[in-house]
Amino acid sequence: MATEALGDERPALFLRKATGLVRGWSVRDSMIYAVLSTNFVTLALFEFTFAGPAFPQGQLLTSVVISAILVSFLVVAYTGLIVTIPRAGGDYVWQTRILSSGIGFVFAVTGWWFILWLWAPIYGNILAVQFFEPLWATLGSPSGAAWFGTNNGIFVVTLITIALAGVLVSIGMAGYARIQKWAFYGGLIGFLVIVGLLLFNSHADFIAAFNQEASNLFGVNHAYAATNAAAVKAGFHAPSLGFGPLGPTLLLVPAMMFFILWPNWGASLYGEIRGASDFKRVFRGMFFGLWITTALVVIFFLLMAKTFGWGFYQNANAAYFNGTFPLPVWPYPFMFAGWLVHNTAFQVILILVMSLWFFGWVGTLFLSSTRVIFAAAFDRVLPDRAAEVSEKRKVPFYSLILMLLPAVGLGAIYAYWTTFRQYTLDATLVIAVTYLFTSIAVVVLPWVKRDLWRASPASKVKLLGVPIVPVSGVISIGLLVFCLVEWLSNDNYFVNNTSSLIYMGAMYALAIVIYLIARVVRRRQGIDLSLINKEIPVE
Amino acid sequence: MRVFFATDIHGSEVCWRKFLNAASFYKADAVILGGDVTGKVMVPITEHNGYWQVVLAGETVRLDTREELADAERQIRNRGSYPAVMSPDELTELSKEEGAVDRRFSVEMIASLDRWLDMADGKLKGGEIPCLLNGGNDDIWEIDDVIDASPCVTFGEGRLIDLGGFHLVSMGWTNPTPWDTFREAPEEELAAKIEAVANLVPDMGRAIFNFHAPPYGSGLDEAPALDANLRPTHGGAVMKPVGSTAVRDAIVRHQPMLSVHGHIHESRGIKKMGRTLALNPGSVYGDGVLQGALLELDPKKGKVSKYLLVNG
Repeated sequence: MATEALGDERPALFLRKATGLVRGWSVRDSMIYAVLSTNFVTLALFEFTFAGPAFPQGQLLTSVVISAILVSFLVVAYTGLIVTIPRAGGDYVWQTRILSSGIGFVFAVTGWWFILWLWAPIYGNILAVQFFEPLWATLGSPSGAAWFGTNNGIFVVTLITIALAGVLVSIGMAGYARIQKWAFYGGLIGFLVIVGLLLFNSHADFIAAFNQEASNLFGVNHAYAATNAAAVKAGFHAPSLGFGPLGPTLLLVPAMMFFILWPNWGASLYGEIRGASDFKRVFRGMFFGLWITTALVVIFFLLMAKTFGWGFYQNANAAYFNGTFPLPVWPYPFMFAGWLVHNTAFQVILILVMSLWFFGWVGTLFLSSTRVIFAAAFDRVLPDRAAEVSEKRKVPFYSLILMLLPAVGLGAIYAYWTTFRQYTLDATLVIAVTYLFTSIAVVVLPWVKRDLWRASPASKVKLLGVPIVPVSGVISIGLLVFCLVEWLSNDNYFVNNTSSLIYMGAMYALAIVIYLIARVVRRRQGIDLSLINKEIPVE
Repeated sequence: MRVFFATDIHGSEVCWRKFLNAASFYKADAVILGGDVTGKVMVPITEHNGYWQVVLAGETVRLDTREELADAERQIRNRGSYPAVMSPDELTELSKEEGAVDRRFSVEMIASLDRWLDMADGKLKGGEIPCLLNGGNDDIWEIDDVIDASPCVTFGEGRLIDLGGFHLVSMGWTNPTPWDTFREAPEEELAAKIEAVANLVPDMGRAIFNFHAPPYGSGLDEAPALDANLRPTHGGAVMKPVGSTAVRDAIVRHQPMLSVHGHIHESRGIKKMGRTLALNPGSVYGDGVLQGALLELDPKKGKVSKYLLVNG
């Protein structure tokens, strides 16, 4: 029998040889996941286009830093749950175990399955504006580039995205995880090249390059001045970069959640012997990932201000937001940075390298949905077939249908109904509601599962004698409630209107109806679903 | 007939107590524990002059009263570990002497199992409720005789057991693991062991395979991919099948009515393999939750009429 001792002086425990005694995964791996999930290129840049113009008096830089500070508490809260109940099912398992089966089902299927139908066209839109549009434009086809911004173009790219994500679900994560890592490093190299370009070129260089390439590629003359004029004409006055008034800046925080709320996206913990070090390990992976993203955003903003001109960057976004941007493409800062080198091959390569931020990220679109569908099928809430995997090809055929078909339908609505396209933050809101209930679970955990909490390394993490995990849960609840109140009461987020609310309400109604039907149908079959999480008495 | 199946409780006393109560709680006619009964961790509690000291979840705790000691022992047992009270000198010796930890582990495991079986006698109405226990790959050999000697629990390994007209055969061996545990064998040997027990079954239409290893590639055997240092790769996001091909082939060939498995704690699930319903209820013994499967067996039709995975 092999033995292993842990501890500083004398052994704190002995392990014998037994299955499953694995070492913790590397902090680097989980950090890469967190950086890709809070994707600075795909999600953050996309959101800045809309958030800045929607809250013209707010300071983007300050709001990102405030958001990161607040989301750090969510990281602490999730770390507490991960080391206490280390399960791959995440929110579903925690909520069903700590709150109730019904709550767990409703908020897991809405937050990790139904709302992903909306994320599919959002991913598609991002692929169109950050990959196809700039690529076509750079290769000399501005009309081709513009097509990707049309209804048909957005729908076709959404279909491509859905197909891509579906194939990746089918082939499994083994191969894709390697691609993800390389995509991360490749994307970072691409960003370093851009940092170099923006650092070693002056503001005047950029104006000249922008005007020249806009003229060459799109036939638009004096594009720099035209962009600034277009924003002013639309009534937008760009704020300066810095730390401005707190009120309007705080209103940007709910918008920043679109990219910064996801450091815990891929977090799970395997291994059964949880020690004090596990809390630090899990926390560091997510925390460093969150703050690396924040650092990248800050570097990006400072370089924008130095070389593009902060006012120009804001004006370009505002002009696009108001439909008056002089160029027929999305104002992709990295394409513009590439214009500092007047070489088509270089510009194309730069766009391709920066697209690694998308391709390293797209594979996880439906991954969580598969897990939730399988878990619900094993719990007999969904029909057994939902968890079937074909014998020959190992493809989860029915769960793919449940993910892909509604995504295609919603992709069509998104593409052809431009009003619906504005409900982008619905995608964040619904997951935030799921996080809210998980945060509530964190707060009540020490009372609801007393023994589990006492035995958890999370209960030992204290500040001035106060356990910080439940406190972080309370702060997370505060953040999420603030965001929900703002989303639902402030028109500038484009969430607070009838059809958007009907859309989100329908998802919750669907989840509740499925759960209730399952309870009734299974009862008729003699299966009592209430037994699933009912605890057997110990004595 | 209603059967409750659980597995891989790995020394968790709270899970054992729940297992014993499962028959009355779920109104089950029989209960089966599929293997890996013993724990993996021993926690030394050092005895000092008038107090005890133990490290719990990374924090050194001083225990001043017998009540505090008992509470700490209870916490340790509930998580599947063995509390071992000893003097500081004993602890030092234990760490130094070759084989001493193994011997102490065996003593604690057997003592714990003895206590558990005593509890079973009362809970299972002196054997009125059929209860089957088996070893798993992580269990030391010494437990076999201890279980076999119990008046109210049946030891399953290699035997044909009649369960209300259904034919139950058990095997706790698995295909090789990176941890080189006790009951591991190459696939060819496993196939031979399976055939030996399968040949005892008179009617596969009423057969229950209780094999610790899940069938390879069934989705009941997905474990995190590990590198050479037993560290999960890619943040634990990449899973791979690690079940037994011999078990899979036996199920496909013999088509028993039901096949119950464990071993891979993360891979809770259900899989139809032709006529056979195969399942792995998984295990979260460290949380004090007893995952299991409730199975309604129809004696007339010879099939599983209802099933539900539960977290008790």
